[in-house]
This record gives sequence, C-alpha cells and structure tokens, in this order.
Amino acid sequence: MKHYTIEEAKEIIKGYKGPHIRIMEVCGTHTHEIFKLGIRSLLPENIELISGPGCPVCVTPVGYIDEAVMLALEKNAVICTFGDLIRVPGTKMSLADARRQGGDIRMVYSPMDALELAKAEPEKEIVFLAVGFETTTPVICLSVKHAIRDGVKNYSILTANKTMPNAYMALKDSADAFLYPGHVNAITGEAVCREMLEKYGVSGVIAGFTPEELMDAIAVIIVGLESGKPFFENCYKRVVSEEGNVKAVETINEIMEPVDTEWRGLGIIPKSGLRLRDGFADYDARKRYALPNIKGVPNPACRCGDVLQGKCKPSDCKVFGKGCTPQHPVGACMVSDEGACSAYYQYGGTY
Amino acid sequence: MCVGLAAKVVGLKDGVALVDASGAKREVSAELIEDLLPGDYVMVHAGLVIAKIKMKETDEKK
Repeated sequence: MKHYTIEEAKEIIKGYKGPHIRIMEVCGTHTHEIFKLGIRSLLPENIELISGPGCPVCVTPVGYIDEAVMLALEKNAVICTFGDLIRVPGTKMSLADARRQGGDIRMVYSPMDALELAKAEPEKEIVFLAVGFETTTPVICLSVKHAIRDGVKNYSILTANKTMPNAYMALKDSADAFLYPGHVNAITGEAVCREMLEKYGVSGVIAGFTPEELMDAIAVIIVGLESGKPFFENCYKRVVSEEGNVKAVETINEIMEPVDTEWRGLGIIPKSGLRLRDGFADYDARKRYALPNIKGVPNPACRCGDVLQGKCKPSDCKVFGKGCTPQHPVGACMVSDEGACSAYYQYGGTY
Repeated sequence: MCVGLAAKVVGLKDGVALVDASGAKREVSAELIEDLLPGDYVMVHAGLVIAKIKMKETDEKK
C-alpha cells in the first residue's frame, strides 16, 4: 500500500467524507502520543479513535494487586515493580498503601534491576511483578534464566503476562481497523496481523510512534477502508521486520507457556496469558509462597472495563475527573501513563 | 503499551550493550539480538534491546 508524508496524510484525514469509521488504538502509548501530538484535532467527526486493551497495567485484574499486597504485608517479600502498578487500587488497598503500612515496595526500570537487588540483598526475598505483553515478557524470562545461571535463590516473579492474538479475536468486531502496537510486533513480527487479515478479514496497520509514522498509519487505514477490501500494512518497518525477534520469541517459549487468563473488563480470554513452565516452579511466586486463589473486587463505580473494550470513552464514566483523577485514581486506566483515562484527563479539551 | 527508547549502541561486551539515548547512557541487555555492532541504532524496552532500527536518522523517540 502507498505511504504518505505528513502533509499528504493531513489532507487524507481532514478530507475524509465517507461513513463513520472506528479505529482502535490497541496500544496505550499510541493513545497518549496521538493526544499529545494534537492529531485528534485534525479528525473529522466521522473518524473515531477508540482506546483498546494495550496498557498492561490497565488490563491487570484487581486480584493481582491483592496478591502483591499479600506478598508484601503477609509474606514479608520485597516487591519490585514498574512504577505504574504502585498506585493501582486493589480490593482493599494499593501497593502504595501497603508501603505506608510497612511493605517494602521498590520501583525498578527492568526485571534485571530486581535480579541485581536479589544478588545484593541475599537475606531478602525479592518478587518482581511480571506484568506486560510480548514486548516486556522476553526480558522477564531472561531475568529468570540469569537467576538460574547465577544461582540466585531469593528471586521469583508473580506472572500476569499477556499475549495479544486472542485479545484481537475478542475485540475484532469493536472497530473497523486496528492500529497495531508497534513494539509488540517488534517481537512477534507481522505474522499475527497477517493471520487476522487472511483468516478473519480483520483490517489493521502496524504503527510507529513518531508524528510521521502515526499520521501515515491513520491515512493508510482511511485509504484502506475506503477501498472496501480488508487490508494489512506494516507502517513501522524501521523497527518491525516480517519475522520479528525470533530469539525473543524462543526465550519466551522456553520459560513460559500459555494459560487462560483474566483481563480487566474482558474477562477470561483462553490462552491469552503466560505462566512459568513447571521446570521453573522455584521462580514462581504463587507456588513459592503458596498464595491462595484471590478474587479481587473492583470499585463498582469504575468503568475501566468498558473503556478497555472501546465501549465508552473515559469521559462517559461518572467518576472521571471527579472522584477519579491521577492524584486519586479509582481505576487502573487513570493511574498508568499509558491508560486511556489518564490521556483524556491530561489532554482534556482536545477530544 | 510498551514504551520504547531509541538509542545508539556505543559499547558492547558479553551480551551487554552500552547505549546512548540523547546523552543519557545506560547498560542494557543485548542478548536477544543477533549481529549487533557499535554504531547501530536500537529500540530499548525495560532494559532489553528488542530490535535494531533500520534507519539511522533517529532521534529520541517512543
């Protein structure tokens, strides 16, 4: 398919006069970049961008936070986590609350940093909160491999890793086209998206994150939809190759295996999660600490689940901007920098 | 979903790359990338090089 300069894309976007179309930004970083760059202000009323499930913190269910809180407060583990998770509300409290009650909660940039902490403080039990999609899972698996290689016994992970293909299946009727998440595809390559096209007739483009890449991707979608035929195009070829990162995929498959898993708002999606294979049970925090099966209870006022499926905009939620703000979040989508509610709140007035 | 940081490889040793992202330097894992060389531009996520960037005219981008 043809690609477009920013000026060409702008003309295509502003000049679109066809029927109403819905484009799902699968990736939370796309949502934020599109807001930040002012691209929404170019859209005519008949082009709707809807947010999808691609913020790993947002789709992590409440019960996972409850498990992490239990590890911190009842099992005396040191919790290492990406920063976004710390303020996500659990059923009774967030990890920030647990820290105020004496829990040892530390923010890290990488699971490798958590592993280094385990080496530096061998008298403590370190648990890394393993949240993320295909982009993040390889480095988490690598941390487990390094722990084994280096004989580190006080390191484990609490898995909530997720994979996108079955989420696409669950959401394929929610939009006319997907803006596929570029950095997931950097790992998985183009195959998953091609399969969505060839098997299910689902349209979409792999998009990058610069103004040029995002404008091109949206223009390609518009032209594709106007053609009336399902389509797929890789608009992020400088990073995403056809085969992806084969070594990363092999590393995931060596350490983890698919499992049915719960997505906030979407429920259980078969084989859309990952857990450690049996051979790595020593590094599985659920097994190491014999955690009970915890069913979390989200705040009933929160509509994160609907937001994540594109069923409503954040501003349609009753508590948005009132009871729920980045300072006092009710739902995960307001906490994370990649969350749709956070984007709508931060860039309010341009949607 | 997965914020990436474009960076230039300025050093390599034993599967660890020293990368420079607009002046900020950090060691990251390069174990899962084949044939990486100093001077290559890469996409880094959570301390791991996830991909080589094909164009060299890059900036610090997401």
